[in-house]
Amino acid sequence: MSLYLRQIKVIFWKDLLLEFRTKERLIAMAAFAVLTGILFSYTLDTTRLRPADVAAGLIWMTIVFGGLLGVGRTFHLENQDGAFQGVLMSPVPRDAVFLGKILANFLLLYMIAILVLGVFTFLFALEIRSSVWALLLTLALGSLAFVALGTLFAAVSSGTRMGETLLPILVLPLLLPVVIWGGVVTGRLLAGRPVSEVLGSIRLLGAFALVAVAAGALLFRFVVED
Amino acid sequence: MARPVDIVLEAKGLVREYGRVVAVTGVDLSLRKGDFLAIFGPNGAGKSSLLRMLGGGLRPTHGRVSICGEPLDFSEVDWRYRVGVLSHQGFLYEQLTAKENLQFYGQLFGLTELDARIARGLDQVGLTDRAGSRVGELSHGMRHRLSLARTLLHDPDVVLLDEPFTGLDPSAAAVLRDVLRQLKDGSRTVIMVTHNLSEGLELATHITIQVSGRLAWQGVAAEVDRAGFGRFYHDVVESQA
Repeated sequence: MSLYLRQIKVIFWKDLLLEFRTKERLIAMAAFAVLTGILFSYTLDTTRLRPADVAAGLIWMTIVFGGLLGVGRTFHLENQDGAFQGVLMSPVPRDAVFLGKILANFLLLYMIAILVLGVFTFLFALEIRSSVWALLLTLALGSLAFVALGTLFAAVSSGTRMGETLLPILVLPLLLPVVIWGGVVTGRLLAGRPVSEVLGSIRLLGAFALVAVAAGALLFRFVVED
Repeated sequence: MARPVDIVLEAKGLVREYGRVVAVTGVDLSLRKGDFLAIFGPNGAGKSSLLRMLGGGLRPTHGRVSICGEPLDFSEVDWRYRVGVLSHQGFLYEQLTAKENLQFYGQLFGLTELDARIARGLDQVGLTDRAGSRVGELSHGMRHRLSLARTLLHDPDVVLLDEPFTGLDPSAAAVLRDVLRQLKDGSRTVIMVTHNLSEGLELATHITIQVSGRLAWQGVAAEVDRAGFGRFYHDVVESQA
């Protein structure tokens, strides 16, 4: 394995280790996902609305807002004792730092996205058996695009006085394609439509995720270097 | 006069501005292998900004820094193998153990024989028995010593120390002093920013006083009248402020 890949792996493992020791982001995101699902299940009048018709939008909004809770704190532990400055003074390409961090964030957010899908499936009695793999792929691509943009802008916002409160303002407009394509795919799959009908949107979501990762890797150094 | 080939660290015309505030201006430095430079100066003199520029942690507004003749290029990473920085901040993760922190940085540097290096480093700063302790559980002095082990882990040619004695109790300061004396083995170039005149005079081969961003005075430590240096320092600061 080249040094570049090893450096990505080291950043990835370090971020995961910190998260599993503190659990501060995972618990916040998981609690948000479960509580939001429960609240929505009580607020919807299921005698007038079919849950499957509205679940897709609610699932993606829960993932987006829950994800902001976690991704927004990506650099919180890094800023303690200037640790991130130490990383930047090491011979690590900035794109390797970015890729390591988004891989760790992706794993965390994907776990939460699956939890959200599970919570809504249970509370809204959704039928997902026929499209579960397509749904998981959609969540994976949407999560990847989200963490690529979210991590880049978390780095921007962590260097400002407004901190995490700035992140939603910066990143939500850019997440529109994720919510639109992710919502369309999820909605149609939950409505029982065949996977072939949503392949185009899945491809667009995948392309957007790749562009977000590439753009983030290119721009990260301009954000973190003084 | 040092031949260009002997020069390890060179700065020419360094300027750093933060908006309208000029933190460092017109700094020229030239240091050879084995040189140990102590930078004295009052608060706000621009010492830390200068040190950060020399270590590649801060981009100069004007001027350039070279290490072993190679200009520092922020888009490259190779020169970072040559530099070790001990800052006010430890660059340590509180949730990781002392050993895990060193492993993390060692792996980022792609170091070979990492376990042996870590064992040596922890032994050098007297923290072998705390290798498994999380950094958050260590005292300030222990964290500072661990930071020193992190700084030296990759055996850098240039070591930059920003007020290393600040906040240390006498025993931690003694450990630090011992390690810094070991750095004077002629194989490295060391720059230390400090307010502590006696520590600086004892350890350094060269001395400079920075005031209002400029290097107001430079000299050789062996030629300095140690007894009268405190008075001299205050005179230089007063005349340049």
